[in-house]
Amino acid sequence: MKLNRNNIKDNIMENKKMTMALFSGSIDKLTGAGVVLSGAAADDMDVDVYVLLMGARAFIKVNENKIDGLSEYPELKDEFLKSLETLNVSTWIEFFEMAKELTNVKIHICSLAGKMWGGEKMEDFIDLADDICGIGEYITSAQEADVHLFI
Amino acid sequence: MVTKIDKTLDCKGLSCPMPMMKLAKTMKGMNSGEVLEMLGTDPGTKSDIPGWCEKSGNTLLEQNDLEGGVNRFVLKKK
Repeated sequence: MKLNRNNIKDNIMENKKMTMALFSGSIDKLTGAGVVLSGAAADDMDVDVYVLLMGARAFIKVNENKIDGLSEYPELKDEFLKSLETLNVSTWIEFFEMAKELTNVKIHICSLAGKMWGGEKMEDFIDLADDICGIGEYITSAQEADVHLFI
Repeated sequence: MVTKIDKTLDCKGLSCPMPMMKLAKTMKGMNSGEVLEMLGTDPGTKSDIPGWCEKSGNTLLEQNDLEGGVNRFVLKKK
């Protein structure tokens, strides 16, 4: 097959992959993760998100709408939420949903993290979750990724 | 010569990353060779849109500043 410059460029684009360890379950960090995820999705990257300890709490169905604490400067929560509203910023769940619509984003829940918050089966988690996995899969994914983040 | 515009995407007032998301989604639904005009006010778009074009292989035909802090981009789908 004859390769021209554009073909090579296409191939490079298709191979880009991001792996994200989402350890945090607070609304500030989840929102930040959603923005980063959106950027990767706009670039058509393949993304694997591994939801670890505190993050898994936000993906449990019964906790929906209960996720509102800040990891940093908790005393600024009202200001943070008000700014999001004023700027018409999407919720973290909306960012995740839009990213999934746009590109190949898979959300993997760490099995231990899920159990910590009472989630053992897929039906315990919100629809964003794709599967439950072990930590070995995360390490493998991180080794293969072009971009690797821990949030 | 004035470039023929097939579609306009208005992202005025939207904050990063929404303009990028809407751009990527809109371009996915367009045919090769079609031209999109995009309008935005987020300062991030000024560097993000040219960068996105380079990475995605689409062509940035025009980029200009309009009144009221509006950035205008004209892109051709690859």
